[in-house]
Amino acid sequence: MKKLFKGFAVAAALSVSAGAALNAHANTQELDKILEQVKQQRISEGKLNKAREQEFLSAKADKQALYNKAKRDFAAEQARGEALKKQFAQNEITLAEKETALENAKGTLGEMFGVVRRSASEAIGSIEASIVSAEKPGRAEVLRSLAAAKELPTVRELEELWIAFQTEMTESAKVSKFQAEVAELSGEVKTKEITRVGNFNLVTKDGYVYYSAETKSIQPLGKQPDGYVLDTVTALINAPAGQVTPFYLDPTRGAILRLNTQRATTEERWHQGDTVGYIITALLVVGALIALVRFLDLMLVTAKIRSQMKNINTPNTNNPLGRILKVYHDNKNQDVENLELKLDEAILRETPRIDAGINIIKILAAIAPLLGLLGTVVGMIMTFESITLFGTGDPKIMAGNISLALVTTALGLIAALPLILLHAIVSGRSKAVLHILDEQSAGIIASHAEKERA
Amino acid sequence: MLVLMEIWESIRDFVATGGDVLYVVAIALFLMWVLMIERYWFLLGEFPKMQKEIVAKWDARQDTTSWYAHRIREAWISEASEKLDERMLIIKTLVAMCPLIGLLGTVTGMITVFETMATQGTGNARMMASGISMATVPTMAGMVAALSGVFFSTRLEARAKMAKEKLVDSLPHH
Repeated sequence: MKKLFKGFAVAAALSVSAGAALNAHANTQELDKILEQVKQQRISEGKLNKAREQEFLSAKADKQALYNKAKRDFAAEQARGEALKKQFAQNEITLAEKETALENAKGTLGEMFGVVRRSASEAIGSIEASIVSAEKPGRAEVLRSLAAAKELPTVRELEELWIAFQTEMTESAKVSKFQAEVAELSGEVKTKEITRVGNFNLVTKDGYVYYSAETKSIQPLGKQPDGYVLDTVTALINAPAGQVTPFYLDPTRGAILRLNTQRATTEERWHQGDTVGYIITALLVVGALIALVRFLDLMLVTAKIRSQMKNINTPNTNNPLGRILKVYHDNKNQDVENLELKLDEAILRETPRIDAGINIIKILAAIAPLLGLLGTVVGMIMTFESITLFGTGDPKIMAGNISLALVTTALGLIAALPLILLHAIVSGRSKAVLHILDEQSAGIIASHAEKERA
Repeated sequence: MLVLMEIWESIRDFVATGGDVLYVVAIALFLMWVLMIERYWFLLGEFPKMQKEIVAKWDARQDTTSWYAHRIREAWISEASEKLDERMLIIKTLVAMCPLIGLLGTVTGMITVFETMATQGTGNARMMASGISMATVPTMAGMVAALSGVFFSTRLEARAKMAKEKLVDSLPHH
């Protein structure tokens, strides 16, 4: 500050002298005044600085006093630290002594508390997952605090563990009813009456439900088991107390029931066959319809032929034999060779109508397994496609396409088997009729002619 | 009685391992054998009587050479052979169907195997084994059923053919 001031004064003096040099006729009185002023200012500056120096000196004395005090404090604290350290070491020793004393006092009880802690933590899982928790919630909390506790459990806590185990045990022998909220498949939550069978299954009037330990809620199964199983559920719900009633119980506490929901029903399997499966089914239906129509038609024709056989004199044109007989009646007086030719012609006219449609059944029966094979190949192609995309790591990805491959094969066979049998039956019928027309009609006519002549 | 119960239990176990397709095999086998026994009964019991009647009627005829006589003879033979061949086609079809039913069992068994694979993964070989036995047992049953039928149905056919030829031979033109 002082230096700056001096510098400023020198600079001012220089500029004044420079100005004086440039302006030869400047006013010297003005310059003297400025000089006087600078001198006076130096004196006042000096006074000011003195005062400040004085001030700093007095402050220095204060600081020294403070410093000395801090030093004393430090020494005191250090001494205290030493004392505390000693005390700490002493405490450590006492603590160790006490601990050994505690260990000695506990004796074999230490083992027991370990067992208590372990069995408590083991029981948490099974008790939380148990369906008894659906009726009596919150049983796991006390076990959890017992399992997590660092200190020794009290007698009361030990009793809680005992009670928890025994509750689970006694409840597993009971069939009880209670009201609870059920999260329906549609998403809404309803309060329903639930029947609990031991710690195995929960049922409502709509069928089996299961208890989800994660969400602590009761949920219905995605798919209920077969009807005859569900019937026992209603029987159980409606049974009065004390009555023995048969009931389908899932001893795995719902695991089998949930696996069952993943199993495909017959209809779902049929849908797995996809387009090829539908085509095969269509073939079966068409083939069976043709076979039915042809069978009924042939039965009708056979019946008419039988009645015609009893009444040869009056040929009826509503049946093949009648039409052949009519040819005979019309050509009675012709010679034998001519008559035979005419009869053969009439028989030939009848045959196509008798075995119409029978070959179609046979062809359909042959096509059905071939279509099944096509489905198999398509399924395998898709399987290999998924192998190229995802590798062979997960068999579940491949399983879908493999089931397509197998279901179509099965459907092909299922369609072919009845069609083959139907073809055998219908073609047997048609052959019988054809035999009558082909081989016997001439004989019938001949014996009739003989009788007429006699 | 005890023996019968044991047999029944072993059959039940067999059906349990083979699955429902075995019932279809059993139905086909039963039908096949009922029809074959009926055919044997006809061939050995009924047909000789029928043959005798026809031969007697033919022998009683004066005229055996005219066109009318030929046609009447043909008609009789046709009637007899129709009786002989009745239901033979169904027997043969059933014999042919048995291995096909077995094959159906194989396929349904494989479907079960892949279903367990889809839900359980390939880890559990035992769960897949039940599906595999469902695949193999019906195949075997179908084969056995077909084999039991093949021999007798072929014999039956040959016998019917011979019986027909004998009948034709015993109707001479005199």
